Amino acid sequence: MSHHSTQLLVIGGGATGLGVAWDACLRGVEVVVVEQGDLGQGTSGRYHGLLHSGARYVISDPSSARACARENERLRRLAPHTIEDTGGLFVSTSHDPADFPDAWLAACRACGVSVEECSPASARRDEPLLTPHVARAFRVRDAALDSFDLLHALAAAVSDAGGTVLLRHRLDRLTPRANGFLAAITAPESTVVHIEAQAVVNAAGPFAGRVADLAGVSLPLALGRGTMVAMATRLVNTVINRCKPPSDGDIIVPVGTVSVLGTTDTPTNSPEDVHIDPWEVDALLDEASILLPGIESHRALRAWAGIRPLYRPPDAPRMETRDLPRAHALIDHGARGGPQAFVTIIGGKLTTYRQMAEETVDLVCRHLGLEAASRTASTPLDPARRDYHRLPLRLERHSRPAVDDHSPVVCECELVTERELTDALRSTPTHELDDLRRDLRIGMGPCQAGFCAYRAAALLTQTQHPQAGLTAVAAFLNERWRGLRPLTWGYALRQHELTRRIYQDLLDVDAGAAPES
Amino acid sequence: MTVTGWNSELCLKCNICTAACPVAAVTDQFLGPKAAGPQAERFRHPRATVPDPSVSWCSGCGVCSRVCPHGVPVAELNILAKARLASQHPHPFRDQLLARPSLLAAVARPLAPLANALLGLSAARALAEAALGVSRHAPMPRFASATFRSSVPQLHARTPQPRSGRPLVAYFHGCSVDSYEPWLGRLTLQVLEAIGFDVVLPPQGCCGLPLQSNGLLEGARNYARTNLDGLGPFAAANVPIIGTSTSCTLALKHEYRAILGLAGETADQVAEGTYDLFEFLLEGDPSPLTRAALQSLPLRVLYHPPCQLQGHGIGWPALEALRRIPDLDLVLSESDCCGVAGTYGLKRERYDVARGVGEGLFDQVQSSGVDAVVTDSETCRWWVAGHAGVRAIHPVEILATAMGLPGASALAPSSIRGHEGPRP
Amino acid sequence: MTHLLVVGQGLAGLFAANLALRKGLRVTLISQGRGGLSLSPGCLDLGRTAASLPSQHPYRSAGLQNLPAAVDAFRELLLLEGIEFLGNPDVSMTLPTAAGRLRHTHLVPRSMALGHFDAEARMVIAGFDGFRDFDAGLVGDGIRRAGWPAQSISLPLPGEARRDLYSTDLARRFERAWTPEQLSSLWGPRLGKTALLGLPAVLGLDHAPETHLALERSLGVGIFEIPTLPPSVPGLRLERALRRRSLQGGGRLIEGPTVVGRVDGRSGGGRVLGVVAATSAGPRAFQADAVILATGGFLNGGLRADRAGRVADSVFDLPVEAASDRGEWLGDGCLGYHPYDLFGLRVNEHMQPIDRQGRVFFDNLFACGGVLGGADRRGEKSRQGIDLLTAYAAVHSVAP
Repeated sequence: MSHHSTQLLVIGGGATGLGVAWDACLRGVEVVVVEQGDLGQGTSGRYHGLLHSGARYVISDPSSARACARENERLRRLAPHTIEDTGGLFVSTSHDPADFPDAWLAACRACGVSVEECSPASARRDEPLLTPHVARAFRVRDAALDSFDLLHALAAAVSDAGGTVLLRHRLDRLTPRANGFLAAITAPESTVVHIEAQAVVNAAGPFAGRVADLAGVSLPLALGRGTMVAMATRLVNTVINRCKPPSDGDIIVPVGTVSVLGTTDTPTNSPEDVHIDPWEVDALLDEASILLPGIESHRALRAWAGIRPLYRPPDAPRMETRDLPRAHALIDHGARGGPQAFVTIIGGKLTTYRQMAEETVDLVCRHLGLEAASRTASTPLDPARRDYHRLPLRLERHSRPAVDDHSPVVCECELVTERELTDALRSTPTHELDDLRRDLRIGMGPCQAGFCAYRAAALLTQTQHPQAGLTAVAAFLNERWRGLRPLTWGYALRQHELTRRIYQDLLDVDAGAAPES
Repeated sequence: MTVTGWNSELCLKCNICTAACPVAAVTDQFLGPKAAGPQAERFRHPRATVPDPSVSWCSGCGVCSRVCPHGVPVAELNILAKARLASQHPHPFRDQLLARPSLLAAVARPLAPLANALLGLSAARALAEAALGVSRHAPMPRFASATFRSSVPQLHARTPQPRSGRPLVAYFHGCSVDSYEPWLGRLTLQVLEAIGFDVVLPPQGCCGLPLQSNGLLEGARNYARTNLDGLGPFAAANVPIIGTSTSCTLALKHEYRAILGLAGETADQVAEGTYDLFEFLLEGDPSPLTRAALQSLPLRVLYHPPCQLQGHGIGWPALEALRRIPDLDLVLSESDCCGVAGTYGLKRERYDVARGVGEGLFDQVQSSGVDAVVTDSETCRWWVAGHAGVRAIHPVEILATAMGLPGASALAPSSIRGHEGPRP
Repeated sequence: MTHLLVVGQGLAGLFAANLALRKGLRVTLISQGRGGLSLSPGCLDLGRTAASLPSQHPYRSAGLQNLPAAVDAFRELLLLEGIEFLGNPDVSMTLPTAAGRLRHTHLVPRSMALGHFDAEARMVIAGFDGFRDFDAGLVGDGIRRAGWPAQSISLPLPGEARRDLYSTDLARRFERAWTPEQLSSLWGPRLGKTALLGLPAVLGLDHAPETHLALERSLGVGIFEIPTLPPSVPGLRLERALRRRSLQGGGRLIEGPTVVGRVDGRSGGGRVLGVVAATSAGPRAFQADAVILATGGFLNGGLRADRAGRVADSVFDLPVEAASDRGEWLGDGCLGYHPYDLFGLRVNEHMQPIDRQGRVFFDNLFACGGVLGGADRRGEKSRQGIDLLTAYAAVHSVAP
């Protein structure tokens, strides 16, 4: 049992929580972050990949739009290595209301969202798969932001600045004390950690409700499950949006080597509910086919879901999740009769994480009696130590290896080397290949770990303990399967068969027999 | 129809193509067709430069596309990537030269005996290697002193007018027959006429494949459009377009649409109406070949299907025809590629690899004790003859001999210049 | 002379083509690409030979009593290519896999035979430095836990490579570039007094038996091969040998075009006239007196399943029974049983595909191999047995 004492305890290691910790560090506040899973295992690692220009919200949620526009420009200066400047297109098709674009244009200007009309022909030149039925087209400052790179950069920045980031640490109890709080936390290997903190920020995303319960306060949340589908290649190189009131499935984002269709919005009761229904995949493909006709003949690689937590203000208990404001909510529980210096920051978009963090730490500093201004807007993040989510850097690097520098490529789909894997295992020992996947992208390419599961398991066995290998393989393949199962037809079915031939016929990893018929 | 980067999505990473690639089998400078093709394609941006120069080791032989069970156009993806890569730097003069065999021949033809003599001089070849990068060891064909076309002006035709009651076919002879092996053209005419066809020569030029292979796609498109203009009226009138060069016919059938991106009714009609000579002779029931009386031909020959013939996806029709010739002792090549792959093996920096690719075939030829190597592609003939030291002939020569046609002799002189001798 | 068209170049198609050539038929083998043998361990899994077979099982249609004859024919063919298969259809052998599991099979090539489980045998399992597709540690760990003493080591390979090598690269090097003497002096000190050595299955491609034997002699040790991640060299050896045999035997091979449908014609009626294939020029017809469909299951596209839940064979579009909700085809875990494992064409005792009422689709159309339904090949470990027996039965139906 170990014991820490700190000024600020942040619960949740997503973009919001790490953003808060970073902001606090820069103001000289001592911080500990606890995250129940691995970096990127929560909502921040399951999002669409979009650095919003804000154009999507100019009519439905202007304050979000303004915030996105400002933070978009800021993040390009603060963390350029996490961003691919794909640009964005808003496209009004013959299916879309013809009067919408002009109202939308006016709203863009009012919100400070930069927009420029272009010809449908130039849009189609850049994006040959775009529907021929483009009535009008507009260019905006959308971009692709890799959240894994961002989370790693933030976590490294917090650690380098003297903060502590504890992964795989789950909060079990939160007890208000005289001058703060005592948190009881379960760490890996079931050890228990106690942390005393003067202030607590609840940035636990979909789990914020559970954290609030632990603190004895009420936090009404609406949880919305959003499903996304990655298509196997970059069908587009620009973010493509439908120019119409926002709804399900009307954005396509190029992210690294794939293009992501999204998203749906289904209410759910559980923050752990990340299942995908086959009809959602069909719905996303159908909707995307309006922008990219024939998209259903292209290969869908996998599907995943994230939980979108939105604060349900006490005065709007029955509002549709789609209509709840996307703007974030910062709740000072102390001001509402709850424990002092316990603050929840919930909702919002990844694009505005920095601003959310700034507001949160402003409030925290008031509680701590500190006079310090935020410095995150002017302090760039160091480039991630491993910079390989950017097309085509990985390929460049692998194209010119010196003989003595050569490390075998373990994951050929995503060009991940043995050295990168062993370095990752050394710095964060784990038995889970899925943790390595989040870090390094192994298993995220077309073969969905068909080849690299074996190769990575061999490395695990060498560096961890002898039993790790096969258990890890089965666990990893089952995790990959969750995202493949909803779209197993056509080539996804072929790919699945290939994986089974390897692990069943060649390696005999699975020995189960069929049920008697 | 046109191959695009998105076709890489069909790749399951199974490595069937990697296992079959003749270049990856002899050099580890090439990462393999899967790695250089659909795998790398996911990392290339259409508006950025191609970041992996190792793709230029691909010879374009097409074995990969043929063996892929999932329909990935692996070779085509590599060819397009190589073309993009080539356009990122100025094209070497050598490539411009090798890409235009008909032009080269037109320049050399007036002085053909001198040019041919120079090609046989090791000093001249050493100079060519140093100055241009054309390997001194690569066997080179001899220039003919007169073109095939110029020897049959009466057969030139712009429109598909029937000449007699006999069915009409159009002959696409290509640069190799026209400038280097005109006797093959004459034999082809004799064979087709003896079987009962009237043959005409539509307006045509180089098929453009050497330009395409060297990344000069716009030049290839210009040549292609000229050919589509000349052949179009014949295809539209259902006059079969027959070719004796399996690389030319592959260009007409496939590359024009898949790689050069030419589309439309004419491109489709020409593609669908193009036949390899032996494919045509064996088509239908009864096939035209049944009208040929085949005499005994007691020779021992090795048949090697060019990789570009295999790209047609029609099997080895010449072999099927040769199997019908009495007493012809046929040895089958066990190699997927002889190594030259068009102009690839002629390049100084590629020669060793190309030679390595063909090593197995050269050994097989020499240990089989054959009288000749029979293969449908001119570049294969010149390359194999030069390295294995055995005559290399087109299957039409064997057929014409078996048919007892006057112009035929299966001992027709090889067009190959001698080269420096076997490399150590 | 009957002209037979075989569609598919997997084990079933290649075997059928060779059998038909030996019976004196004219054979054309057409396939889009090469088949599943490069994903196969190169052994013969014959599965259940007992009587309790489900009613639609291909072993029933083909006649299980013919299995020994089919296996003998296979062995004879491979022997002509210098590849000897050891084992017995009635006795299963237990061999280690590259993941350290113990796999049951019936017939194995000689180069794997010494790998049969023997709790008394002390052995060394060796991988190669830098070779990703086989890990001796995983193998050794697994078989030690199963009670088989083994030591795991990694051996160096001669020379430098400028890229990662695949199993086929190693196979060619073992066959052509590296001599047994060279390897013996490189490995001798590491191997010491080892009597039995398990290596990745990369000892040669087209001259594997000689390569294996020469290495055994030079090292003075018994060697058995263990199949690696794909490309699986033992499977490839079989494929190449069978393909060579079929060409030597006068067969015609058309490799590359996708077979997209059947030839229509007025004299069709209850017969197919041939198949249409998408060659480089466009669709071309290939006519024949009889067609054997050996296109395999879902892996290489012999069966296809679309988003709407429709399952059919990809050449003749014959319907395959399947639940229309694709969620019902799939198991919960990645590996293990999936209901779609049973999907495929149903055939009668003449290996002719039939509909639900038992009616033959076409008199001269036959099917064999992975395209047939009714068998859980994974659970039964019967994949190669079904390929061989159904190919044998199909050819004997074409030419009794």
